[in-house]
Amino acid sequence: MEVKITRDASCVTASLVGRLDTPASVEAAPMFEELKADAAGTIVLDCSELSYISSSGLRLFLTIRKAASEKGGKVIVRSINNEIRAVFMMTGFLNLFEIQ
Amino acid sequence: MKVTEVVRQWSRAGLMIIIVVVATLEASSILQYTFSRKGMQQEANNRAESQLEAAQNKIMDIINQAEAAVRNSVWIVEWCMSVPDSLHRVAQRIVQDNPVVVGSTVAMVPGYLPDRPLYSPYVFQAPGGDLRFSSLATEEYDYPAQEWFYKALENESGYWSEPYIDTGGGDILMTTFSMPVKDSKGKTAAVLTADISLDWLTDLVGNMTVYPNAFNMVVSRSGQIMVCPVESLVMNHTINDLISRMDDTSATRELNRALLSGESGHTNIKYNGRNDFVYFSPVERTGWAMSIIIPEDEIFRNLKNVSLMVTIFQILGIMMLILMFRSMYRHYEQNKKLNEKRERMEGELNIASGIQMSMVPKVFPPFPERHDLDMAADIVPAKEVGGDLYDYFIRDEKLFFCIGDVSGKGVPASLVMAVTRTSFRNLAAREDSPSAIVRIMNDSLSAMNESNMFVTFFCGVLDLQKGHLRYCNAGHNPPILLTSSMQMLPVEANLPLGIMSGMEFKEQEMDFHYDDALFLYTDGLNEAENSAHEQFGEDRMKKALHGRKGAYEHLKTVEAQVRAFVGEAPQSDDLTMLFIHYLGKDKDIFGTHLVLHNDIRQVSRLQDWLEALSPGLGIDETLVPGLNLALEEAVTNVINYAYPEEGYGSVELDVSREGDELRFVLSDSGKAFDPTAKPEVDISASVEDRPIGGLGIHLVRQIMDSVSYERKENMNILTMTKKIQ
Repeated sequence: MEVKITRDASCVTASLVGRLDTPASVEAAPMFEELKADAAGTIVLDCSELSYISSSGLRLFLTIRKAASEKGGKVIVRSINNEIRAVFMMTGFLNLFEIQ
Repeated sequence: MKVTEVVRQWSRAGLMIIIVVVATLEASSILQYTFSRKGMQQEANNRAESQLEAAQNKIMDIINQAEAAVRNSVWIVEWCMSVPDSLHRVAQRIVQDNPVVVGSTVAMVPGYLPDRPLYSPYVFQAPGGDLRFSSLATEEYDYPAQEWFYKALENESGYWSEPYIDTGGGDILMTTFSMPVKDSKGKTAAVLTADISLDWLTDLVGNMTVYPNAFNMVVSRSGQIMVCPVESLVMNHTINDLISRMDDTSATRELNRALLSGESGHTNIKYNGRNDFVYFSPVERTGWAMSIIIPEDEIFRNLKNVSLMVTIFQILGIMMLILMFRSMYRHYEQNKKLNEKRERMEGELNIASGIQMSMVPKVFPPFPERHDLDMAADIVPAKEVGGDLYDYFIRDEKLFFCIGDVSGKGVPASLVMAVTRTSFRNLAAREDSPSAIVRIMNDSLSAMNESNMFVTFFCGVLDLQKGHLRYCNAGHNPPILLTSSMQMLPVEANLPLGIMSGMEFKEQEMDFHYDDALFLYTDGLNEAENSAHEQFGEDRMKKALHGRKGAYEHLKTVEAQVRAFVGEAPQSDDLTMLFIHYLGKDKDIFGTHLVLHNDIRQVSRLQDWLEALSPGLGIDETLVPGLNLALEEAVTNVINYAYPEEGYGSVELDVSREGDELRFVLSDSGKAFDPTAKPEVDISASVEDRPIGGLGIHLVRQIMDSVSYERKENMNILTMTKKIQ
């Protein structure tokens, strides 16, 4: 699992690479904690290279989403594959995020 | 309680005991002394009094004889009065008939006989026993002026004279009993006498002694000393003279008075610086007083001796007691030092034990990120430190592992163990061949082996990618190989390490397949003895290894069984075990049974497992991510909730297919946890209201067709089914 964070003027982009399963979520948790600092602006979670997500990964997404909601920011989830889309559907996450 | 405290209390207790013993002994001695003294005093009193009585009886016997001789002859004198010349016969008869009477006279009252103004025929016993006749009517003697004469005239019942030295007769000390004789008209006509020698008195009284240094004394009514061991005092001194030489006390004055006034009793006096007891009693009719003088020392001599002996014994006893306590105290002091030393050594041993235990890898699971290896190791030292060792690490996709047992036990073995383990680590870091590792270790251990200790050692290198095992055994117990069957790993008969340098060790090899396992152990296992001295042995060992479990569960099972077998018997040797379960290489023959450790990283193995099994079970690959997700969520739940604390445990997963239905059974021995009892999460809630957790079981329910939980034989069993067509 790899998380690449890039910042530009308009938003912060976190590119997620690999599988965000339970152990990977434990590893990635500090990165997501950092991202919360940018929750007042726009955070893009780029999932074009994310192959798999488990509930632990979803929780990380949700914490960011909650932080943005508190601080008035915005979270965009970009390029999810079909499997992840199915998971988002099953968990109602499709309604919580702006999916691009 | 600290040792110093114990010693202090002991020495205090010792002092107390000595004081109590001394006090008790002294008190009993004083009591005994007092009572003995009283008893002895009483005894002396009794003896003195009975002797006084006996002496008196004897004296009275003689006195009575003399008096009787006179009284019985008075009538004859009266009768013969008319024939004065026959009167000497009366005197003669008195002397002849009474052996105690040494002389007798009939002394006429002057002027009674008209023709003889003085007339006193005297008969006496001359020395040798002959009777002599003489007359006392001489001018120089002047008998009417003699005490025995004129006092008799005043005492009708007779009178005992003061003792005197007879000058008329045999120059002997004598006393005279005299009695007036009246004529028929009642006029006093004469005095009839009987002399008794006082020699017998001296013999009689002088020889009667109650104590060796006691002596007797008889004084007359005027105080003349009649009998006394110091002969020069006899008749030359009065008791007054004697008493005046004594310390003037009320007691001496009282004695003087008592002696002269005819009283009886006893008192004590000081004479020449010594204390004497004086017992005295009057002799009836004579006016004499008899006394017994007993030095106080005599009375209490035995008591003094006994007291002296008792005191000596007491002092000896107390000295022995003191010595005893001293040696006890020293003993405790020594013990204290030994204890301190032991405590220090125990402390050091504990530290050494910690150091030693930190030398062997203790983390479990040792390689959680690896899916091709499940292993566990454990070491149970019999003492604080031991000579067993194991080690393992992965380098270049190869597992290097070893197990060893240093001969002997305790600290020496532990030092060799440390050297051996360090040596293995260093060599295995660069050397790939187990025989090379063993050979070099042997050379270095032999070179410095002055204590002749050796190490049985097994070294293996498992190529995790190729599934190939190379190993070299240096005299160690052959490990057990668990494949589809269970057998001893064939090993070469190499010598243990440290015996001889320059040795070559034969290396062996074999292919290792998926699910093969190796169980290594030290002789603390197979030679573990119960209280009946039976050994655990190979068969029990193999039985304990039966079945397939996680490596850690295997070790715990064997450990529990050996412990149950040994029972109360003390552990005699270190017990070390190493279980290596190979799960690599031939992925395509993945079993339908998967064991995961209680570690969240293990869930990553699910993907490989599912992918490997899918073709065989006819699972479309598009279904794999979903199944993977559901299984991951279910397993994660177990790890997080059934095993909440840090600890070992495993999660087992079985899959089977029946018709178009896949059945997954997840089981664990953690605490009871029913994931299906969790409330359904509300997926339509707003961002703010959405709880962070609870999605896992929701996903399981969403993906699987059915989810059911049961608790059976202390196991959580979650059964999930999924139709695949």
